[in-house]
Amino acid sequence: MRISTKGRYSLEAMLYIALLPGDIYSSTREIAEKTGISEGYLEQLFIPLRRAGFLCGIRGPQGGYLLGKPAKEIKVGSIVRSVEGPLQPTPCVQPNICPKQEFCTSRFTWSRLYIGINECLDTISLQNLVDDFRSRHEPEYSI
Amino acid sequence: MKISTRGRYGIRLLIDLAEQNDSNCVTLSSIAERQNISVRYLEQVAIILRRAGFIRSVKGASGGYTLARDSSDIIVGDVLRVLEGDMLIVDPPIKGTTETLLTSCIRRVVFEPLNRRIAEIIDSENLAALVGTQDTEEAYMYFI
Repeated sequence: MRISTKGRYSLEAMLYIALLPGDIYSSTREIAEKTGISEGYLEQLFIPLRRAGFLCGIRGPQGGYLLGKPAKEIKVGSIVRSVEGPLQPTPCVQPNICPKQEFCTSRFTWSRLYIGINECLDTISLQNLVDDFRSRHEPEYSI
Repeated sequence: MKISTRGRYGIRLLIDLAEQNDSNCVTLSSIAERQNISVRYLEQVAIILRRAGFIRSVKGASGGYTLARDSSDIIVGDVLRVLEGDMLIVDPPIKGTTETLLTSCIRRVVFEPLNRRIAEIIDSENLAALVGTQDTEEAYMYFI
């Protein structure tokens, strides 16, 4: 029942970018160096993150990535869903996947779990991560 | 973020046993037929559930399986942890290593609350409560 590295690394990269001043572009090379995540993997993850509007990128030697919108408007649940797909414990929680959905008793548990996971992650924003980080590590932490 | 077939089929096996709520034993082949799961797979799951003390087997001509305790004493979370290993959303920190500041922040703010929420949900359900529950439309609400 694990979140994959896609979700974990995306959160890490997004938090890294969110901690920088708003006008500083960060390149995938720099993020790779600071986090230890491979540059190729970051580039792969940034495709859906850009498409979802969480990141915007500019090309060129001074290019890189910025947050696509304010950190408080980016839910952790949306970040993880954009790279992992729907956060469903079983396929059957989607409507009309299983012919037994009307009377299956175990589906009830999976549905509660599915709703709980999404609700929990949707109450946390990227800003909550930034705030927690700053309250513990600044000013000694500098990027 | 998936429950394996072992966890899913194990829960269905237990629900099936709870639904045949007399003291008679239930054969795996009859469960297999009702649940449309292969007998061989159910046998593997049944061994784990028996060792963990959720079901017991009765040998003989009218033998089979029955719940080893009252269905209200069987907590869904306990069953899932036995079948799935654990129900954590990320691996716990490796002892003797230090996480980066970024990863420990994410663990604290995201993964620990999520682990607690998952545990709350699965530990608040017992088998007796599950039997007879039907689709609540709740899951659909999430899509609207």
